[in-house]
Amino acid sequence: MTYRNKRIIMNNIIMTLSTISAFIGLGFLFWILGVLVFNGIEALNLAIFINEGAPPGYEQSGLKHALVGQLLIVLYATAIGVPLGVMAGTYLSEYGQGSKLAETIRDISDIMMSAPSIVIGAFVYAIIVIPMGHFSGYAGAAALAIIMIPIILRTTDDMLQLVPSTLREAAFALGAPKYKVIIQVVYRGAKAGVLTGILLGIARVAGETAPLLFTSFNDNFMNTDMSEAMASLTVTMYNYATSPYEDWQRLGWAAAFILSMFILGLNIIGRLFLLRKRGK
Amino acid sequence: MATIIDVPEEKVLHVNNFEFTYASSETPNIKKLSMPIAKNCVTALIGPSGCGKTTLLRSFNRMHDLYPGNTYEGEVLFEGRNILDAKEDLIQLRTKIGMIFQKPTAFPMSIFDNVAYGLRLQGIKNKSELGDRVEKALKDAAIWNEAKDRLKHDANGLSGGQQQRLCIARAIAVEPEVLLFDEPTSALDPISTQGIEMLVSELKERVSIIIVTHNMQQAARVSDYTGFMYLGELIELGETEELFVTPKEKLTEEYITGKFG
Repeated sequence: MTYRNKRIIMNNIIMTLSTISAFIGLGFLFWILGVLVFNGIEALNLAIFINEGAPPGYEQSGLKHALVGQLLIVLYATAIGVPLGVMAGTYLSEYGQGSKLAETIRDISDIMMSAPSIVIGAFVYAIIVIPMGHFSGYAGAAALAIIMIPIILRTTDDMLQLVPSTLREAAFALGAPKYKVIIQVVYRGAKAGVLTGILLGIARVAGETAPLLFTSFNDNFMNTDMSEAMASLTVTMYNYATSPYEDWQRLGWAAAFILSMFILGLNIIGRLFLLRKRGK
Repeated sequence: MATIIDVPEEKVLHVNNFEFTYASSETPNIKKLSMPIAKNCVTALIGPSGCGKTTLLRSFNRMHDLYPGNTYEGEVLFEGRNILDAKEDLIQLRTKIGMIFQKPTAFPMSIFDNVAYGLRLQGIKNKSELGDRVEKALKDAAIWNEAKDRLKHDANGLSGGQQQRLCIARAIAVEPEVLLFDEPTSALDPISTQGIEMLVSELKERVSIIIVTHNMQQAARVSDYTGFMYLGELIELGETEELFVTPKEKLTEEYITGKFG
């Protein structure tokens, strides 16, 4: 066999192996999505959005309590996590250039990003739930915010650093003070990227279950009081899906479907922002 | 040895025993440099890469202060004071001494907002005044005809040459005393380059101009005075024609005849 033939055969083997691997990976993804869509759509109806949770066997049961709870918890988490994350990222990129402190924060934040979310749930349980004496929506939002901060911090830092330094210099050369350079020029230049980071951060925490089990816990009925235990789609899904009742299991599928679509939507919007920016 | 003439015109800037050291450097990157900058004239700085001409230019609006650890020595006199003084109000200084960069630096906003940026920084909010001054600046920078129908459009939609003229409009809108040009045409095509050069010659009626260029023909075309720098020193400053035709220093002659650089 000539060297050339050997090379061609080797190339074909590697190509085939990697193509098969890619299809196996994608196969699982589509399998999951397929089952989810199939069962989810079947379980989906208008009543789900109108009715609250009910004991198994009741006709009029729904997910309104979980949807509202999920939205509230994520909203509060966003309200805490986004400003902190963006401002910390701004510090790293604009004020901490080359400083030891900034480097340390960057490293710690990277470690936090890969911390198991259940650990963060346990942490919030210890510092908020135990002193308060009961589970609460606030505790859930705090746990999600803590998970969100390092993600948003990192993307903000990266995106701001992509803004060319000549653009900053040009603004300084017109006599702009630093905060105006940052807000009016740097943020504007990095807008799409920072926004994408925020959306991906929200999408990431919206699917978390473990930290909520420790913090906001659950409530089978409608509750908009953040200082009380609160339902969320993820925890509701966990409870319903593991229950022996068929109607609860169907609601679990619906919750899974709604949550996945929400997260998929956020991801798609985030990517569209980036694409539009690159297209320019 | 160096041959540095005195200029007959009024001096807008006067550099005295100026030294500059980058944070990363142990020895000065610009050494004991003295030169006058004539008012309402174009002064070109030429020299091989790394000779310190851009470093010198960026000292005049204290651009080096954006990065920690850089140090200045000596004097740069402007309006009767040493602008290297630690107490100098850099924001004020930079509105008086503007800068045009090597690559066009259009901000990610509309054409109008780009030109209005410096004006708004000065607290001008009146819409009609802003409009008038933006229009005047765009006309003075010879880009009004191309820009007038799309003032609200994103400035990044303009070509490189147009963006550079937009940056000039933005810089002259705040009516500075001095404009620093840092190789303003090195990223542009020949026709855009010609446009910028014509603009430089017209603008000197109102502002004093210092231009750093790699292109000796450009220095010869646009400037009244030319300074030749080498290894952080000013070797020769003279009237442009004289410096190019009858250089006094051997190094200058070797550089302009292409023996090195």
